[in-house]
Amino acid sequence: MSNKKINVLYLDDEEHNLTSFKAAYRREYNIFTTTSANEAVQVLSENEIHVVISDQKMPNLSGVEFFELIIPDFPDPVRILLTGYADIEAVIDAINKGQVYRYVAKPWNETDLKITIQNAFELYNNRIQLKQQNVEIQKAYNELEKFVYSASHDLRAPLVSILGVLKLARTENIEGKPAEYFGMIERTVNQLDGFVQNIISYYQNLKKGEILASIDCALFLDEITQHFEFFEGADNIRFNKMVQQDGELNLDEMRLKMILNNLLSNAIKYRDETKSDSSVDISMQSDANSLKLVVKDNGIGMNREDRMKAFEMFFRASERCTGSGIGLFIVKEAVDKMGGEISVSSELGQGAEFEVVIPNKR
Amino acid sequence: MNEKELNIFLIDDNDIDIVVNTKLLKLANITSRIRSFTNGADALQYIGGNFEELDKYLNVILIDIQMPVLNGFDVFEKYMEFPDEVRKKCKVFLLSSSIDRNDIQKAEDNEEIIKVLEKPLDVYLLKRLVSA
Repeated sequence: MSNKKINVLYLDDEEHNLTSFKAAYRREYNIFTTTSANEAVQVLSENEIHVVISDQKMPNLSGVEFFELIIPDFPDPVRILLTGYADIEAVIDAINKGQVYRYVAKPWNETDLKITIQNAFELYNNRIQLKQQNVEIQKAYNELEKFVYSASHDLRAPLVSILGVLKLARTENIEGKPAEYFGMIERTVNQLDGFVQNIISYYQNLKKGEILASIDCALFLDEITQHFEFFEGADNIRFNKMVQQDGELNLDEMRLKMILNNLLSNAIKYRDETKSDSSVDISMQSDANSLKLVVKDNGIGMNREDRMKAFEMFFRASERCTGSGIGLFIVKEAVDKMGGEISVSSELGQGAEFEVVIPNKR
Repeated sequence: MNEKELNIFLIDDNDIDIVVNTKLLKLANITSRIRSFTNGADALQYIGGNFEELDKYLNVILIDIQMPVLNGFDVFEKYMEFPDEVRKKCKVFLLSSSIDRNDIQKAEDNEEIIKVLEKPLDVYLLKRLVSA
């Protein structure tokens, strides 16, 4: 607690109450007293008042009315009402509405009132502190937001340009050593780009609400799988797509993309190179209630322990791969945000099957 | 299906991306009619002043979002000032290397933007969307 003196404002139409209050507490507090509500407002605007005490029964304005009047402009000072037992209903009402912190019966007991003022001041300090912390959190959050925005532009733009050039090189059928080198560059750039995208989507997922779009499953799946055509290792994998769409499907498309992208890149990354027939089966089945998305591979799979930890941040089950361990964590977060469920079944050496069920938000 | 040949306007301040996208479009035999601009003002001036050319083709305008001075949204806003008969002849796409949801949402809320395409450009997706 700070050592500074508590600034107390006391409003009462009876002059002698003000006098006895001052006599009792002037050593401990900075006391401002007045018999006029207007003057009280004046004091509030000119001083940092911590605690406001008002008599309830006054000729022009009740204490509760006075508090109502000052709350919009001076929400911070903690309000204490002084009252006789007669007005108890008005007091209860005021407390319930949050206009009054405590009420003190008249005539007051000196020690009790002192404790009440001390407590009120503590509350005042806590509120101010909380406010400051909120301002700081908001500031940090805004900075993070700015970072994510500029990261998504400035970090990705050059990578994307490089990927474009590489794509062009591939389209122009460059052969031999250069092709091999380009392939290496592409792999590395894809890896970095994937990581940048994951970080960005993680923060976007954290913050944003759902943005619904009507989804054409077949088109959606084509669009996503095309991205993986040139993914390292994808050329040796057979992709089997199955789509069964019954009626309109409304979902958060970006999150769905995030989910499928991660599941697919895992299915490819964790393929079993000893098998000659690597395959990834993707199925999307939707009806009025939900979308069921299944990504099944015949890759290296996971044991039971790894399966339990699969959705943890930065957990990596395999040493041979280039992942950052953030992918499935993001998937889980995105599925949660969409109100869905994800499950995995897998055995070591037997591949893995991820099943995601997301409610259709029609 | 539209029988007219595609006529593509590429607006992007990044000259590497212009080269890459132009070549990708040509190599995929999507069209050889590609005109590129490194800023929105020049592009708009050209598009606004060549109605006869627009009339002959199925026009596709690709606007990069992250550009200095006039960004993609600014360019699109100015484009919207063109009369209906000009806009009727064009299909507008925005290009972005960002995956910022706000940008995408902002763009796709507008009926006259067909889609925000990620870079590097998927020319086949573009082709499909144009002929859809």
